[in-house]
Amino acid sequence: MMGGAVQQDAHRMFVQVCLYFYCKCLWRCLKFVVRKLTGRCELQRICYNTKPGAGRTMKIETSLRSSKNKVLQNAVSVHPDAIEKTIDTIMELKKINPDVNPQLGVSLQGCLLQIVGYRNLIAQVEKLRREPYDSEDPQHEEMLLKLWKCLKPDSPLEARISKQWCEIGFQGDDPKTDFRGMGLLGLYNLLFFAERDAAAAQQILSDSLQPKYREVSKEELSKFTKAEWEKKKFDKAIGYSFAIVGINITDLAYNLLVSGALKTHFYNVAPEAPTLSHFQQTFCYLMHEFHKFWIEEDPLDIMEFNRVREKFHKRIIKQLQNPNMALCPHFAASESLINL
Amino acid sequence: MGEVQKGLLSVIQKLKGSEEQELRIVLLGLDNAGKTTLLKRLASEEVNTITPTQGFNIKSVHSHGFKLNVWDIGGQRAIRTYWKKYLGSTDMLIYVIDSADQKRFEETGQELSELVEDENLTSVPLLVFANKQDLATASSAADIAEGLNLHTYRDRPWQIQACSALSGEGVQDGMNWICSQITSRKK
Repeated sequence: MMGGAVQQDAHRMFVQVCLYFYCKCLWRCLKFVVRKLTGRCELQRICYNTKPGAGRTMKIETSLRSSKNKVLQNAVSVHPDAIEKTIDTIMELKKINPDVNPQLGVSLQGCLLQIVGYRNLIAQVEKLRREPYDSEDPQHEEMLLKLWKCLKPDSPLEARISKQWCEIGFQGDDPKTDFRGMGLLGLYNLLFFAERDAAAAQQILSDSLQPKYREVSKEELSKFTKAEWEKKKFDKAIGYSFAIVGINITDLAYNLLVSGALKTHFYNVAPEAPTLSHFQQTFCYLMHEFHKFWIEEDPLDIMEFNRVREKFHKRIIKQLQNPNMALCPHFAASESLINL
Repeated sequence: MGEVQKGLLSVIQKLKGSEEQELRIVLLGLDNAGKTTLLKRLASEEVNTITPTQGFNIKSVHSHGFKLNVWDIGGQRAIRTYWKKYLGSTDMLIYVIDSADQKRFEETGQELSELVEDENLTSVPLLVFANKQDLATASSAADIAEGLNLHTYRDRPWQIQACSALSGEGVQDGMNWICSQITSRKK
């Protein structure tokens, strides 16, 4: 019996391996035939058939990665300054005359700038994340104090170590321990939000501090037992800690970036290489959206945070699976950057 | 990390052969004590991207039909009022202390002494992790035990264990103690 099962497994694996090579071979043949018929290589066909944006750049990226030629494979990780030269090499390799196809070089360059830019953005974000908050560093301290000023313009901070920090949603009297695994990245994001989108940040902060006003229909009321309802009605800790949630949303944005999920968004909004400010705008968008989502979800109390966060994360990932998706169409400060 | 896995494995192996069971373990302590890092360490997950806990985290470690449900509940003052909600049918209380945060030893001691008064925790074994021993300014486990007046806890088995959740050192020893407590209670 056991031997039979093992043999069956081995057989199944053998069939799968054969199928893989068969498909790969078939794909190569198909590419060859199409190339002969249209007189265009795969990169050309992608650029001619797909409009600029995530759809095109992601196809180009896949095509380059799965190429059997080393030059094409390595094109996705070249230094930004070497992109032009790489494109010349590709054109030569594919025997494409740049005078006959002037647009192709430009299109490929756009794609490569985005692909290489995304990789470099991950490195830049990772570096910030790894740098711990250091209260001995005057620059770090200055940013932290600026965060307070932006969020609480009308009430000065009385001391560097103060219970007041809890008012903007840090856990204790010194925020330095709250940055943790997100390091300076968390502070950069929070400050960007508080500075560039000040009105929204202050509004969300103020909402997060409010006990929630509840209006319920009779139907809804019947869903709760009386005790539950009493608890729900009088629960004052219904809000959340703004800064701590910001650091958690930084983690979410960081995960979306590193997993590659944000490619659709960045390839659609950044005509050239995506930069740190693109990432920070995405963070602002996520803060807005999370806040709305939290209110829609109507959680019983803060203990539901991770459940709501997980659900939100899944929703964003699903949205990003659509190649036409861009995450921040409503964010004013980003409009200058969207010029597609 | 391997060390911890071995530690968990030994807990499980010692319990194997006896009837299958689920264990409910609650991790508590002040904010920034290292509860989530410890939880991730136990689940053999990466510990570099931890953020402050809003609400709680839970992880189950499955093996041979044996299930360790570990609840890690946020330590922020505003969240401590919710601790009581999570204490029902707890088999083991793990209390985590930042050994380098001398300024808050009094606060953490007070929270602990109030916590163990809870009727859900009557005679539940208590393991105190004197965490962050990797820091040069950390106090020793013995000093912390004295500061917490642990010797006055006579209504339950307790143990204090020096550890570093970041490096994993000492975590296994704590898990071994938990294992010995559970097996002795089953007899």
